[in-house]
Amino acid sequence: MPIVVSRRRFLQLMGMSGAAMLLGSCGGEEEVATTAAPATTAGTAAPTTAAAAAPVSIDFWLPGGSDPFCQGFELVADAFAASGSGITVQEVLCGVADDEDFNERLLANLAAGTPPDAVIIWDPPVIMASLGALEPLDGLMAASKNSQLENWPEGTLASCRWDGQIFGLPATASSYAIFYNEELLESKGIPSRRDDFPKTWDDLKALSAEFVQWDGDTLISAGMIPPYDAVESAIWSATNGGALYDPETQRVRLDSDENIEMLDFGLQWLNEQYKGDWVALEASGNYLGAGYLDELGRPPGFQSGHQLAVVNGFWLAADVYGSEFQGWERWNVAGFPVGPSGSSTASGFWPNWCAIPKGSANPEAAFAWLDYLVVDGMKTWFGQVPDIPTNRLAPDDLFPQSVADQRGDEFATDITRFFKSQLDVAAPMWNCPVQNYMHDQIYQAISTVMLKEATPKEALTAAQEATQAELDSLMAG
Amino acid sequence: MGRVRRLPSRPLGRREALAGFLFVSPWLLALVVFHVYPIVAATYLSLSDYSIFTPPEFVGADNYVKLWNDPTVWRAAGNSLFYALLSVPIGLVTALVLALLLNRPVRGIGIHRTFFYMPAVVPPVAGTIVFLLLLEPRAGPLNTAIETVGLDGPAWFQDPAIAKWGLIILSLWGVGAATLIFLAGLQEIPESLLEASSIDGAGPWRRFRYVTLPLLTPVMLFNLVIGVIYSFQVFDAAMIVGGTSGAPAGSTLMYMVHIYRTAFGYFDMGYASAQAMVLFLLIVAVTAAIFGSTRRWVYEGV
Repeated sequence: MPIVVSRRRFLQLMGMSGAAMLLGSCGGEEEVATTAAPATTAGTAAPTTAAAAAPVSIDFWLPGGSDPFCQGFELVADAFAASGSGITVQEVLCGVADDEDFNERLLANLAAGTPPDAVIIWDPPVIMASLGALEPLDGLMAASKNSQLENWPEGTLASCRWDGQIFGLPATASSYAIFYNEELLESKGIPSRRDDFPKTWDDLKALSAEFVQWDGDTLISAGMIPPYDAVESAIWSATNGGALYDPETQRVRLDSDENIEMLDFGLQWLNEQYKGDWVALEASGNYLGAGYLDELGRPPGFQSGHQLAVVNGFWLAADVYGSEFQGWERWNVAGFPVGPSGSSTASGFWPNWCAIPKGSANPEAAFAWLDYLVVDGMKTWFGQVPDIPTNRLAPDDLFPQSVADQRGDEFATDITRFFKSQLDVAAPMWNCPVQNYMHDQIYQAISTVMLKEATPKEALTAAQEATQAELDSLMAG
Repeated sequence: MGRVRRLPSRPLGRREALAGFLFVSPWLLALVVFHVYPIVAATYLSLSDYSIFTPPEFVGADNYVKLWNDPTVWRAAGNSLFYALLSVPIGLVTALVLALLLNRPVRGIGIHRTFFYMPAVVPPVAGTIVFLLLLEPRAGPLNTAIETVGLDGPAWFQDPAIAKWGLIILSLWGVGAATLIFLAGLQEIPESLLEASSIDGAGPWRRFRYVTLPLLTPVMLFNLVIGVIYSFQVFDAAMIVGGTSGAPAGSTLMYMVHIYRTAFGYFDMGYASAQAMVLFLLIVAVTAAIFGSTRRWVYEGV
């Protein structure tokens, strides 16, 4: 006898099955979260040979980057699997969809108890560690092949230290320096060797004046732009004997005399050479892009030969001879000058931090992968996108091929070593638990000063009070 | 006094009701899971200290007290209010003018209508970047045009005094959707009324003022409410132009961007939830006020 299903009954069944599918899909997530949520003691455990020998698959996430950058990690993962580690990096997630944010996705997975096993993060580990999001690595580091404490420059490791423990590995840390146009200096009969570059901010300001030219309200040639970048503020503070944050006392130091003096120095520089008009300076051309196209697509003043010098990190070395570069050839790099109240040079850095999220299913295998990546994987990483390897055991014969192609191996090696040496004088930075908040406050302070809406003292005092209150709130919580 | 007479319940009616509920159950479930639950959760989280990494801890009204005393929140709220107060009326007037033009019987009107609606389907990121180029201070087409009449074009997104105006101009990029709704409203106006007013001697302006405009007010109400809600929630354009810092000098830091950076930059979900709840309540209040005012200006009978 045929089974007759009326249209009404059919639609009822469709409705019920739709509801059931929706419920089922919700239930599935929970099951994954339950099975994947581990209890780990990575902070005290050392990697065991059993963990390394057993076939283990791990997931590795990083915020994104260019195609070569992303492809590099797949190459390193393949080499790691072939090295007999017994660990496969099953998924390398390099960036998320255009309408998604990496942090959003990482946080959602952390909250759901399904984090990746290992990550590269672009937010300082000290922030995430202070919120309980990362596994401490001290035990794993001590028992590792490459990552013992003494193999990392202290300055960079400070960005990973929270409450006496280490929560990240600063796998690479491109240091900062001043890129300058040798040919522009020579055109005015000024010595262009690195050793001859100004050693004080006063001297650099005077040198900058030689190259500033205005056509009415349009700047057509710049020397150097006074310090303006919030990230780099840690450097100019250090060159003037100051600091932004003291981790020992957990006090923010934005309104210290040294910092006020340095910001005031920048303001005087703006007034003397750039008509005191930050808007006109920005509108004139791309003098603040520090070597890269700006958001308006304008070519950078440095590469187009209209700007004597810019501050930037090692990554710019590999990109200088890009499509915007024209009309000249020889550039070099120099260290930062000393401020009016400073006594020695300083530099800064911008790392790629490796970390293991709290709840990682395979923290030991994940650390074994990271331990491999920070030394054995560096040649591939550097070959894809040049970045200064931080670990002392990493290869030290690397240099950006794009620079060698233009200027020869010797120059490329020289500048790479120079940038690496700058890590030894790196100012402590990225070490405040409210770093992102502090960064926004510093930006606000600098921009209001440059736009003449507040004095350096007023602006930095406001930034100090807001940041300290935010820090106190975090510590109290 | 009349008594309510209840219809006798019939077995077929109950079955139909059950079937109806089953049909809408996936949607209802999605509504509960993806809308009601987040609102309830955000309400609770706004009363908690919550960083997502550890369980929320109830702190009462602390986040709201902090919000009240936070100058950055006030700056962001001021920026958003300025943007809403100007972008909504300017957008409505622009959309209405475009709709009136697109309602004229000219050759190729379909192509014109498509042309004006197209920006509304372009991704906001692409639209914003196009506007950044259009408003480039030295070589951008707009400033170049201004210079041809002997004036200096402003530094749209470099000058903090001007930057919000740049965002308001940018908001006109998406005016096609409101235009389309006005156009639909215009085409609903009975031709007989316009003819009658012409016979009575009304010229084009009086026909527009006393016939077209009153009959468009329901559509205007819709566009106004949607416009206000969207303007308070502006995010993409502000984020691309000013980043999370609201460059230049915090002048483009909109309230939604501040919520975003509080949540995903500072990892302070509880505080971000409090900010979101305030925005929610503000939008509810403004929307209610608009609806409350409709008796005075919305004409609903023909």
